[in-house]
Amino acid sequence: MSHIHIPDGVLPFWLVLLGWIATMGFLLFCIKRVKSYGLEHKLPLIGVISALMIVGMTLEIVPIAYHVNLSVVAGILLGPILGFISVFIVNLIIAMFGHGGITVVGLNTLVIGVEAVFGFYLFRFLCYLFKTNKALSISFTAAISTVFSLIISTSFMIGIVYVSKKDPFEILSVYSHKEIHDGESDQKESKTKSEVLSDGKRMEKMSILNFAKTVLVIGFPGWVLESTISGLVIGYIFRVRPDLVFTRAT
Amino acid sequence: MDIGIIDYLANSGRSFFHRASPACKMVFVLLFVLSIMITGDLVVLISIYITLLTLSLLTDLPFLRVVSIASYPAIFAVLFAIASWNGDPIRSAVIVFKALGAALTMVILILTTPYHRIFSCIRPFLPQVIVDGLFLTYRALFILLELMDNFIRALKIRGGLSPRSYRKNLRNFAQGIGLLLVRGFDLAERFYCVMRVRGYSGRLGNELIERKFIWSDIFIFIITLCVCSLSFVVRFRDDFNRFSLYFLYFSLFVFVVSGFYHIGKVLGVRGVLWKS
Repeated sequence: MSHIHIPDGVLPFWLVLLGWIATMGFLLFCIKRVKSYGLEHKLPLIGVISALMIVGMTLEIVPIAYHVNLSVVAGILLGPILGFISVFIVNLIIAMFGHGGITVVGLNTLVIGVEAVFGFYLFRFLCYLFKTNKALSISFTAAISTVFSLIISTSFMIGIVYVSKKDPFEILSVYSHKEIHDGESDQKESKTKSEVLSDGKRMEKMSILNFAKTVLVIGFPGWVLESTISGLVIGYIFRVRPDLVFTRAT
Repeated sequence: MDIGIIDYLANSGRSFFHRASPACKMVFVLLFVLSIMITGDLVVLISIYITLLTLSLLTDLPFLRVVSIASYPAIFAVLFAIASWNGDPIRSAVIVFKALGAALTMVILILTTPYHRIFSCIRPFLPQVIVDGLFLTYRALFILLELMDNFIRALKIRGGLSPRSYRKNLRNFAQGIGLLLVRGFDLAERFYCVMRVRGYSGRLGNELIERKFIWSDIFIFIITLCVCSLSFVVRFRDDFNRFSLYFLYFSLFVFVVSGFYHIGKVLGVRGVLWKS
């Protein structure tokens, strides 16, 4: 439920472009880093894990479009760098199937990529902290990592929607304040303008609060579902092939 | 989302849209999505959606299935519209129609173009590794889907998925995904060995893209240009607002005519309500 299932054209163009630039920057960094580990050997693995994420996304568990992302599972098994590459491939393919906007693939990759990267580091950190080596505790650790990663990625998504309501110049504080020093004749007009602006800001604040509340309420069952399944999947893999869970991170 | 059906329809179709070059269809997608992105006018958005419905009728694809695949994002658009509700129903309708229009554009592309042609077309704009990853993902996808289908069938036969046993269902479902992952790893190893045997050294071969324009390309290009320019004009010139209504009437008229033509043409064979 941490996808940005925001349609094309709702987010401002500058934010969409920024999302694509950031994603491409991260991708190039990831590809450069992973080349030293023998990328051609890892490529079929990326393909298989990406395909599995898509299979997970096509299976609706509850009929209001709840589905598992398996991004944390991908992060744990592939590592943060390969996980990010895999997330981009998945987002591009599902956008082609009409599952989410094509223009928000960049932002979507950042949000789900955050999930995969944080999931990996949290899982490794918790395993190191609790010295876990049993399937049950590994499952529990993976579930906890998934919940925290989902909280972080959902907050990131809400942040993106919040930023999208702002003017980029306002964020960068490059507006001059010359309106304040305008002549007295404009005072009445500027007062009306400021009233309208404050009304707009109040509406905007209410709108973003409503959005955050709705996403958190709808997202919560999704988090429980995703973390339970991720925990069980990692636990199962640890029982069958423990070497896959604690493989060298890339 | 039935990916098998999507792939079958893309490869088996014989309509003018199937015959058009992938590059032309990519331009169609780019300009249609751009038109949907820039406009905030509900009438223009409805007109674009009706135009896309007409195009999907003319592609000889199962109409209801196309519409149902493309309607999936509407669920999220409605949720998003509710979540960011500010008392304006028009704004909510705009969000929903933007989602529907963009999704239908993508679905028309994917249902009329085999995936390898799309990936070859976007190859110049993405790193080589990503394009190779796309090819390998698509290949693995069908193998895993079949494995998943078999697994779910086996679970059902053995009583592994039963109503109201949520805990058991969840555990079995998760173990199924785990099993797929373990098999997937073996599959990846085999993939790599097979690719090495066939001379793979970190780069998959390119598919040659035909650079010949046919009449289908010109037809698609004209429609795309008309829709895009109208969308731009209505967006940036207030005095052209009335044209959005003409656009709506015209697109509705063409849709009705195409609907009758389509029913007349294929009703005897499989019907417009053909589903599978």
